[in-house]
Amino acid sequence: MGVKSLFILFEHAAGYALFERVESEEIGMELDEVASSITELSRFSKIMKLKSFLPFTSAESALENVNSISEGVVSDYLKNFLEVNLPKVKKIKKAKFQLGVADPRIGSAIQELLTIPSVTNEVVRELLRGIRMHFQSFIKALKPGDLEQAQLGLGHSYSRCKVKFNVHRVDNMII
Amino acid sequence: GAGGMKGGAKVIVEPHRHEGVFVARGKEDALVTLNITPGVAVYGEKRISVEGPPGPDGNASKVEYRVWNPFRSKIAAAILGGVDNIWIKPGSKVLYIGAAAGTSVSHVADIVGPKGMVYAVEFSHRPGRDLINVAKSRTNVIPIIEDARHPLKYRMLVGMVDCVFADVAQPDQARIVALNSHYFLKNGGHSVIAIKASCIDSTAAPEAVFRREVSKLQSENFKPLEQLTLEPYERDHAVVISQYRPDKKKKSKD
Repeated sequence: MGVKSLFILFEHAAGYALFERVESEEIGMELDEVASSITELSRFSKIMKLKSFLPFTSAESALENVNSISEGVVSDYLKNFLEVNLPKVKKIKKAKFQLGVADPRIGSAIQELLTIPSVTNEVVRELLRGIRMHFQSFIKALKPGDLEQAQLGLGHSYSRCKVKFNVHRVDNMII
Repeated sequence: GAGGMKGGAKVIVEPHRHEGVFVARGKEDALVTLNITPGVAVYGEKRISVEGPPGPDGNASKVEYRVWNPFRSKIAAAILGGVDNIWIKPGSKVLYIGAAAGTSVSHVADIVGPKGMVYAVEFSHRPGRDLINVAKSRTNVIPIIEDARHPLKYRMLVGMVDCVFADVAQPDQARIVALNSHYFLKNGGHSVIAIKASCIDSTAAPEAVFRREVSKLQSENFKPLEQLTLEPYERDHAVVISQYRPDKKKKSKD
């Protein structure tokens, strides 16, 4: 079997993005080289291509998704996004690709629910650092500042929820 | 609250050596930051209004600063202690771990200004409520009420940052900083950590505790640049500043 292709799932306050690793000769690249290549957009955009971006359509939807992601749960919105954008898999061992994810918990949830082979390792983490660094440049539809604006709104709603509804409140003792 | 520093000698505000930080020279000198929400004090701190440069209409505008108390903020204490570089300046993106009620965060927000961003993480809910309120009027502060030991939980809310500041008074602080940096700190970015010796090990000598924390950071790909104690503002505290993943090539060229 040939080299498997690698997709990367990037979760952002603005929406979900799927990247694909390209330029096959770079696959054997040492971890050090991956780490240094993420700094410059000119190099990074040669090894990663944006495959798809699905924005959240409302603040409610964004909040629902950040809560799911934070708990390692696959929301319906994420499930749909992955089903539409990744090749169909009948048997997990026969899949010709892997999906790189930041959190092994969301990885195993995806694998179980969608039979998509998921992976979390050093290379995936480095590539995610690069995506986080250059995300703005990949998403042409967004104006500068839009991404931060999404984080700001979602940071507030996520945090307000945490402070309001906390079943473990008893455990947060005031020292 | 009152405007503060009223009456008596006229106050002159000068830029500090650290970009974005200022010194108010009056009867007593004070460290100040440019208030990004003029007219509003965050925690009852004094405000100082001075005449700014003339605007487009030729009239002088008022500029307001807030007094930054080194007994209440470790960054202010480090600046007055003569730290070489705090790695936080106008336009910086900062991940602030241990944001508490947001008093110190508000000054960092003043420094980074409208083009910068402060991702402020606090786990305790009581100070967290205050933090959320501070962030309401300061749109460059993103409040994150979550456990900094689990940075993956807030990965959707944080971008790549220039500086990680931590003041969490936890025994595993170095690990918390490293964990967050692996996800969010740029290659070549900086970490600024306030260490309270007794929180890490109350039996060892503070110097030994600081040394151990530095070596923990080194093992996580940080290069220590600077360490200074926070006397006379805090006892047995140090600030340790390091560079994350320093560029090896650049170093050999120097």
